[in-house]
Amino acid sequence: MTTRSVVDRAIGGGALALAALAPLIFSDYWVGALLTQTLFLGIVASSLIFLSAYGGMVSLAQVALYGIAGFVLGNVVTNGNTKGLNLGWNPWLAVVLAIAVTVLVAVLFGLLASRSVGIYFLMITLTFGVIANLFFGQVTTFSGFGGISGIPAPHPIGPVDEHPNRLYYVALVVSVLVYALLRYVVRTPFGLTLQGVRDDPVRMASLGYNVVLHRTLAFAFAAVVAALAGVLFVWWNGHIDPASIDLSAMIDVLVIAVIGGLYRLEGAWLGAFVFVMLNNYSRQIDFVGPRFHTLIGLVFLAIVLVSPAGLAGIWERAQGALGLGGGAAPQPATAAEAPTRDADV
Amino acid sequence: MSRLWGRGWKLALPILGVGLVAAMAAASTFAASATPIKVAVLSDCEGAFGAFDGQDLAGVVSAMSEYAGAKPVNPNDPRKGWTGGSIGGHPVKLVGIGCSNDRADTAIKETKRLMEQLGADVMIGPLSGDESIAVANYAKQHPTKTFVDGSAGAQDTTLKVQAPNFYRFNGDGAQWNAGLGDLAHNKLGWKTAAVVADDYSFAWTSAAGFIAEFCAVGGKVTKRVFPPLNTTDYSSYAQQMPTDVDGTFVAVGGAGLIPFLKAYEQAHGPIDGKKFIGNLFWGTPGQFEQLSARVAGAYAGGAGTAGDLATKEAQKYSKRVIGKWFKTIPPFGAAAPQASSTFTFGYFINTWGLIKGLQAVKGDISGGQKKLQKVLGKVSLQTGYGPIKLDKNRQGIIPVYYQQLYTKDGKLAVKTVGYIPNVDQTFGGTFSSKTPPPGRTFPPCVKRSLPWVGKTQHPKVIP
Repeated sequence: MTTRSVVDRAIGGGALALAALAPLIFSDYWVGALLTQTLFLGIVASSLIFLSAYGGMVSLAQVALYGIAGFVLGNVVTNGNTKGLNLGWNPWLAVVLAIAVTVLVAVLFGLLASRSVGIYFLMITLTFGVIANLFFGQVTTFSGFGGISGIPAPHPIGPVDEHPNRLYYVALVVSVLVYALLRYVVRTPFGLTLQGVRDDPVRMASLGYNVVLHRTLAFAFAAVVAALAGVLFVWWNGHIDPASIDLSAMIDVLVIAVIGGLYRLEGAWLGAFVFVMLNNYSRQIDFVGPRFHTLIGLVFLAIVLVSPAGLAGIWERAQGALGLGGGAAPQPATAAEAPTRDADV
Repeated sequence: MSRLWGRGWKLALPILGVGLVAAMAAASTFAASATPIKVAVLSDCEGAFGAFDGQDLAGVVSAMSEYAGAKPVNPNDPRKGWTGGSIGGHPVKLVGIGCSNDRADTAIKETKRLMEQLGADVMIGPLSGDESIAVANYAKQHPTKTFVDGSAGAQDTTLKVQAPNFYRFNGDGAQWNAGLGDLAHNKLGWKTAAVVADDYSFAWTSAAGFIAEFCAVGGKVTKRVFPPLNTTDYSSYAQQMPTDVDGTFVAVGGAGLIPFLKAYEQAHGPIDGKKFIGNLFWGTPGQFEQLSARVAGAYAGGAGTAGDLATKEAQKYSKRVIGKWFKTIPPFGAAAPQASSTFTFGYFINTWGLIKGLQAVKGDISGGQKKLQKVLGKVSLQTGYGPIKLDKNRQGIIPVYYQQLYTKDGKLAVKTVGYIPNVDQTFGGTFSSKTPPPGRTFPPCVKRSLPWVGKTQHPKVIP
């Protein structure tokens, strides 16, 4: 084990310990609102980083997938509302259904998108996102403009407002499991093949691998992660509407991933933390006020110029400068780079 | 006897002394423990109704200044809030003004920030329909906080959600349109009509009021078109509007109204004002001035407001309440003429209702605000435009006015021509908690009797 990986693990362990003790240290608002939001936004961003770093696919559809899970859950669990299907089913069955429907849609999206790469993949997934947004905006059977309100978190997690720590811990456990699962998957034969597909799809195809199927499966797997974030989001917010998955929300998640670092899974939660804090506290500054997106745009620009690998990249460079030895990190696969690789092919 | 007096004085003096000391101690304790009442306001500073942000906040700040001893920080900028003010010795502190954008998702995020981060005890707002449904649902989950509406007029907010701690002194979109169906069918002679409305809860409610009454008196609605809120190009929707009808009811509001009318003219030629009835946006100060004089003759549904009403109370409200506390309300200019806007008046009466409730409990919001919530449901207001009281769902029963657009000195102007008192949310028994919510197909076009049909009054107005 290199010095660098020891330091990384120590920092990771420290962050996890701090997160576990957060309800004892921070206010209810910090835990119930800011940190819980950080966790589920980190989860959805991690699904994007997984696809980007290990599959070479920068997807803008992750927010749509997270929204599909949220809308399914909202329609299935609510009862007596004026919007949605109001099925009033068991909330845990609803979670299973939400994830299953999301994966099904992801397979369909994936089959269509996985034949394209780079900027074209980005554009197709953007289209999926817009379709999902318009679908829920227009189809009043499932949502309409106003969306679905009053979505409860199941017992014993909810009521969330009475027990904010419970949802926080659920989100924390899910985050840790997602992180561990993603780390595990990228080391399995499937994950290694996926990285092969990322680096040289033609060579992998000539070796007998089904490139399209691999990309589709990776997309569907990332959808499971995004769906989990969607479930946590509606439990936390109690409400979902098309604005929750609009273009602005899609860009927010991309910004989180870029700020955190598009090639390290940890960057997802780091980026989410920075995003949530800036979003929350900048609004109280008179000068910024409602111009949060201008501010986050400037931060985004600064990150891209100073450290294209995000905050995680700054840490990598700092470690290098401190002479802490080199640890292997997955190579970044940005929308700009991927077509170059294919052009080389 | 005198000995008894003497002994009495000997006894009374120490008691009096102890009492005085105790009273002084209690007073000083009270002063020290007069906890502030933390107030948050949720307005729309972006989106389709972002232009009315100043009117929303002017309504709130004026009510706080008029009834709670506060003072605007800047008489030309309502967003700066107020200073001072107290109720029952408790300072009324503005902890934050939320900036929403007509979307429920944003409204909820801002509400969470105001209530949970900034720790507000009570909230005034939001502005628009779907936001209010989401906030009422949020209120249901936070029974120890109290919420009063801003100007939102979706029916579901109170009729369906029925949050016990959400109060709305303004009417809903259907109530505001009472009298228009009767007017269209029995005065203007419309037998058939088309309806175009924004595709969201408020506009569905607004259209529902017109459709229910127009059909109740025998009219037929032959086409309903619902462009999404925040549409910028209405050409495809304007094309769908039929011209073989006697008239058209327009419930496209906010930033969409002018683009829709332009698209309509491009598709079907110049607008004939007599064949149009608009909802409240056609008469809202700040909005109607942007309409072309070509729409003169058109009627407009109100919002329980009538700026030209020739009563002392109405004129006092605009000139000596809104006009007293604010010189201008940006971006539309002089404050007093904007007093009758749905937004100014809505936020004003809801804030006033909240203040009256707080005064009734002497500012005591302890015990999960239960005392406040109990008395708030019984608060009634004698507003500049008439009396308002709440029904069992904490929804206003209101006076309704409708207006007509005309030209005055070459400019478009508004005059109030119809008045119906005491319109309740059931709309004469048309709607209940068991009927479907207003939507693209509800209410159906059916004949029925409504209590105010044929009884519209014609108020005296200032020309």
